[in-house]
Amino acid sequence: MAPLNLTTAIFLLFTYGVGLIFVIGVVLRIYQYATTPQPVKIPLTPAPLTSGGAFARILGEVFFFKSLFRSNKPTWVFGYLFHISFFILIFMHFLRHFIYSNPLPWWYNIFVDIGIVCGIIMVLSLFLLLMRRVVIERVKFISLFADYLILILLMLIGLAGLSLNFVLSPAALTTVDNQLDPYMNGLLNFQFTNIPSNPLFLIHYTLVMLLIAYIPFSKVMHFVGIFFSPTRIMADNPEEERYYRPNAKDLSI
Amino acid sequence: MAKPKDKYKVPVLDGKISIPKIVPGATAYEHMIEAQKDDMEALGFPAKLQDGWKAKAIGVFKEILDNNKAVRDYMDICVRCGACTDKCQFFLGTADPNNMPVQRQELMRKVYRYYFTPSGFFKSLSNSQELTEEVLKDWYTYFWQCSECRRCSLYCPYGIDTAEITMAARQIMDSIGLGQKYTTEVIHKVFKIGNNIGIPPAALRNTLDDLEEEIEEEGGKGVKIPMDVEGAEVLLVPPSADFFAMPHMESLKGYAKVFHKAGISYTVSSYASEAGNFGKFIGSYKSTKEINKRIWDEARRLKVKRVIIGECGHAWRAAYNYSNTMNGPFDFLDSKYKQPTHICDFTLGLVKDGVIKLDPSANDDKVVTFHDSCNIARASRMGDFQGGQFTIPRELIKAAANHFVELREGTTKEKTYCCGAGGGLLTEEIMNVRIAGAMPRMQTVKEAVDNHGVNFYALICAICKTQFTKIFPLYGFDEEMVGGIHQLVSNAIVL
Repeated sequence: MAPLNLTTAIFLLFTYGVGLIFVIGVVLRIYQYATTPQPVKIPLTPAPLTSGGAFARILGEVFFFKSLFRSNKPTWVFGYLFHISFFILIFMHFLRHFIYSNPLPWWYNIFVDIGIVCGIIMVLSLFLLLMRRVVIERVKFISLFADYLILILLMLIGLAGLSLNFVLSPAALTTVDNQLDPYMNGLLNFQFTNIPSNPLFLIHYTLVMLLIAYIPFSKVMHFVGIFFSPTRIMADNPEEERYYRPNAKDLSI
Repeated sequence: MAKPKDKYKVPVLDGKISIPKIVPGATAYEHMIEAQKDDMEALGFPAKLQDGWKAKAIGVFKEILDNNKAVRDYMDICVRCGACTDKCQFFLGTADPNNMPVQRQELMRKVYRYYFTPSGFFKSLSNSQELTEEVLKDWYTYFWQCSECRRCSLYCPYGIDTAEITMAARQIMDSIGLGQKYTTEVIHKVFKIGNNIGIPPAALRNTLDDLEEEIEEEGGKGVKIPMDVEGAEVLLVPPSADFFAMPHMESLKGYAKVFHKAGISYTVSSYASEAGNFGKFIGSYKSTKEINKRIWDEARRLKVKRVIIGECGHAWRAAYNYSNTMNGPFDFLDSKYKQPTHICDFTLGLVKDGVIKLDPSANDDKVVTFHDSCNIARASRMGDFQGGQFTIPRELIKAAANHFVELREGTTKEKTYCCGAGGGLLTEEIMNVRIAGAMPRMQTVKEAVDNHGVNFYALICAICKTQFTKIFPLYGFDEEMVGGIHQLVSNAIVL
């Protein structure tokens, strides 16, 4: 095995640090949301009468953004396109690890093409979401630095990822691919190998790490918070079933 | 102070609900009158701001974060997508950006970031803000321009409820001695006398006697409104406005006739003479529970079998959603019935079972429309099925009147606009905000009047009734149009 270079050492520390921040941060948040008592029933009615129904309501929000669809169609379209393409891409990044074998399966190029299309959709929808914040007066007024930051960070991640496909020669890309698999395996089983040294790849990788580290401190936590949102997750059955939380304090309702 | 009537800014109605261009600070000068010493102290709050208020406020804020999942969750997860920005009637009416739900929340969120998140560290970039006197002034202004109607929550992809944040802000402000006169005064009255208006038992009996006479003159012989009768089957708890205000009293007559005709013994109570619960408006669990407890204590004392709540929006929310949690379980009542039951649910049941008969032609002079009150539409339910709060009142209206039209699609049922005075805003000093907040609803009223000749505006909320009686004439409509569903029932019931 080749000796590890300095870049790899730095990136290894960086990656584990980021992983730790992410896991601890998100777990702490989940713990906080889950253990904070909700003093009274506050479902937004008409609401399902059973807890199963209420959970289905949350899934409707998670998978179809139902409330956003009701309130603003353009935002729904841009937001939905972004989330769908982003999730397909995350999924494909993991999947790639399992299908990148020698020889490559015959459909590997189609797989890559789908990824490229998703990447383009992602960057475009992010651009439209950014334009919303710049053009629409009300949305511009409410937008904070953090809102622009996350959009730009995601766009840069998308652009850097796409550039690997468009800027690099096929040979250079294959080199990155060939080095990436053992590096990623190494992260999990501690048999470390060198990280691909291509600068475009390292930019993409670094930006992704920054995003992951930022998540627990940012509004991205909505992906956890939605499951604890009392107006959506509570069933409308206060008379049928007594709701009582002994640890709820006589405080604000 | 209240301004003379000619100074009110009443928008001209063109039937359109358009999104205004934002005008920062448009209603920054519309303030509530501050609470009086007696009232604050009676509720366990300091009389006014004292040294060290800031530390105390942050302490209470922390306690709320630790004990209220909604506030805890909602402080973090807003993505500022802007879906709510054009949904609040107060923004549509006033154009003040701080009346956009997300921006109203931001008033609290920026303080949250400063004290409770590590990003408070990068102050300017994270938009965090110390709780200064100036910020507190903004809180007092804008958290008292929210009617806690939850329209924003309906449209929020995460269900973030500004009402919860407003309640928490009011709780924090109260706890450092910055209260609002109207709500604290009303709650104090409930604790002292038993109802929001402060009618003592003897005066209440007198009023009821007068009403009985009126009913008799109108041809309702023998219809009684019993008070404090032990062993009655039903304890009826209407909002106290039903005892003395117009058009609210017309609905009380309706309830009385329904009980009379159905032959069900009932009583109102001088101790629990208020269904309304202003404790909820200031976000105080303790006051809400105390006010609510009066109903159930009285139900025990009078040995009734069931509790029925009159026509009132937030009262129904408090009774329906909080009673069982705060003062339940109700195993001393008859388990056959929902405890509590809404009067509309009760009356419609009797109509369907053929116990009472309504003659809808008695209301043939009326073209009726129905305004869904926010706390009933978005915060509670009637009957046994999802959405019963929409169908039951409508079925009852249709049973009592032949001509019914809906208000504009997209402004009814859960999408209804607030009347503009809920959540403790029903007070003179912010009349301009109330007028502006009613604007979206008034546009749809104009449409209904112009296109369908609507001349009766049916309501099931005491605050809506008071607000619209006041607002209709300002917008050029007859205040006589405003009334309760049981006013229609009262006309139509065959005695």
